[in-house]
Amino acid sequence: MGTLQKYYKQSATYKIFSGMLTEFASFLDTLGKITINGVEVFKLIIKGEIEKNEVLYQCYRFGITSLPITLSIVGMTSVIVASQVALEMVKQGGGNFVGLLMTILIVRELGVIMSGFAIISMIGSSIASEIATMRVTEQIDAIEVLKVNPIRYLFVPRVVAGMLMMPPVVIIASAVGVITGAITSNLISGLSYKAFFDSAWLGIYMKDLFVCLLKSICFGGTIALISSSCGYFAKGGAKGVGEATNKAVVWSFVAIVIWDMFFAIAFFF
Amino acid sequence: MSIEVKNLIKTFGEKRVIDDISFKVENGETLAIVGFSGSGKSTILKLICGLIPLDSGEIITSKGDIAMVFQYSALFDSLNVADNIAFALRERKDLRNKYSEKQIKNIVAEKLELVGLKGIENKFPSELSGGMQKRVSFARAIVTEPNSILYDEPTSGLDPISSTLIEDYIVRLKKETNAASIVVTHQMSTITRTANRVIMLYGGKIVYEGTPDDMLKQNNEYTKQFVTASLDGPMQMIAEN
Repeated sequence: MGTLQKYYKQSATYKIFSGMLTEFASFLDTLGKITINGVEVFKLIIKGEIEKNEVLYQCYRFGITSLPITLSIVGMTSVIVASQVALEMVKQGGGNFVGLLMTILIVRELGVIMSGFAIISMIGSSIASEIATMRVTEQIDAIEVLKVNPIRYLFVPRVVAGMLMMPPVVIIASAVGVITGAITSNLISGLSYKAFFDSAWLGIYMKDLFVCLLKSICFGGTIALISSSCGYFAKGGAKGVGEATNKAVVWSFVAIVIWDMFFAIAFFF
Repeated sequence: MSIEVKNLIKTFGEKRVIDDISFKVENGETLAIVGFSGSGKSTILKLICGLIPLDSGEIITSKGDIAMVFQYSALFDSLNVADNIAFALRERKDLRNKYSEKQIKNIVAEKLELVGLKGIENKFPSELSGGMQKRVSFARAIVTEPNSILYDEPTSGLDPISSTLIEDYIVRLKKETNAASIVVTHQMSTITRTANRVIMLYGGKIVYEGTPDDMLKQNNEYTKQFVTASLDGPMQMIAEN
C-alpha cells in the first residue's frame, strides 16, 4: 500500500490535481483575508476612526499623482474607439449618432474601467509594495507591538481616499474622453463638433451618471482594500514584495471586472 | 515578577521550535537568551509580545506595556525621527488625546537625550547609521514607559564600539525604567555586559541556565561549545538546519 501511494504521489495526475487544490486553497485564503480586513475597515469608518491628515495625503496620491496617466489612457482609448467607428458611421449615414455612441460608451464603461486599470497599475501596485515592504522589514510588527491598530493606520486612509478620489478622477477622465472622441471624429470623418455634441447629450440620463459615480466609489475602495491586504500578508523578502504586488494587481483587475459585470446586470439588464 | 513564561510550546509546520520552556524575569533584571540561529530565540520574544500565537503554555506579564527593539530597528522609513518616537503617543487609542503637541515634542526630546541623540528630530531613518537607528528604536520603544523591554539581537551587524555603546544604553535603560528586560543575542560582549542571567536554547529546550560568569567557566558542554565556537560538541548546527 505504501509503495502504491508513493508511485501515485509521483504521477502527473496527482501533481496536477494537488497543484489545482493548492491554488484553490490559496485563492480562498486570500479572499477570506481580504473580506475580514474589509469588514474591519468599514467598522472603523462607521465609528469615525479616520486619520484625517493621512487621508489627505492618500487623496493627493490617488487623485493628483494618478491623473496624468489616467487621462492619457482614457483619452487614447477614446481616440482608438472614435477612429474605428466615426468614419464607418458617417459613411453609413449615422453621423448624427457618433456623439451619442461615444458618450454612452465613455460614461457607462470606458471612462470608469480604464481609469480603474490606470489606478491599479499606478496606485494599487505602489500601495501593495509599500505595505509589503513594511511587513518584511518588521515595521508592521512594530506598529502592533506599539499597540496601534494597523488596519486603522494603514488601511482606512487608503480605502477612504480611494472612495473619495476615484469619482472626480473618473469625471475628469470621462470629460477628456468625450472631448478627444469629438476631436478624433472631426479629424477622421469631418463630423462637425456641433453634430457630435448635439447627439452626445441624447443618450445620457441621470441614472448613467449615478451608476458611473457609484461604480467609481466601489472601484476606488476595492482597489485600495485589495492592494493593502495583499501587501499586509506578504511573506519573505524582496520576492515576497514582488509576489504581493503581482497578486494585488491581478486581484484588483479581476475584482473591478466582476464589479462592472455586477453593475451592468443590476442596472442595464 | 514582570515576565513569567510557563511550559511554552510553539510548532511551525512539523517542527517544534519551542518545546516546553519555562522561565521568569524580575523587574530590573536582564535575561539573555542565547543559542544557534533558528533555535527559537526570536520566536520567544514574538510570543511574549503577542506577534504570534502560542500553541500551549502560559505567558504572564505584570500590568503595563511590553516594548520591543527589533533586530533591524524597524523604524518607519516614511516618518522622521520625531514622528517615529511619537508614533504611539499620536496613534494609540488610549494615548491619542492624552498629550498636546507641545508635550509630545518635549517627550521626544527627553527620550532622544536619554539615548544620546539630542537634536536629530527632523532626520529620516535613511540618514542615520545602523547604531543611531538602533538608539532611535530604543527611544521609540520606551516612549510609553514600558514595564518590560525585549531586545532582538540589538548589537548584531554593529562595529565593536557601536556595540559597546548600545550595551551601555541597555544597562542605562534598565536602571532608568526598572523594566524586566530580555536580550536575544549571539554576542559574548552583550551577554557579559548586559545580562544578570543567561539561558541557552537547543532543540527547542533550555540546555543551560545560569549567570554569565558561570557560562564562561565552561562547566556545561553546550556553553563550552558556544563560548569556544567549536564545531565539536553536543550542538550540531548543520544537522539542525
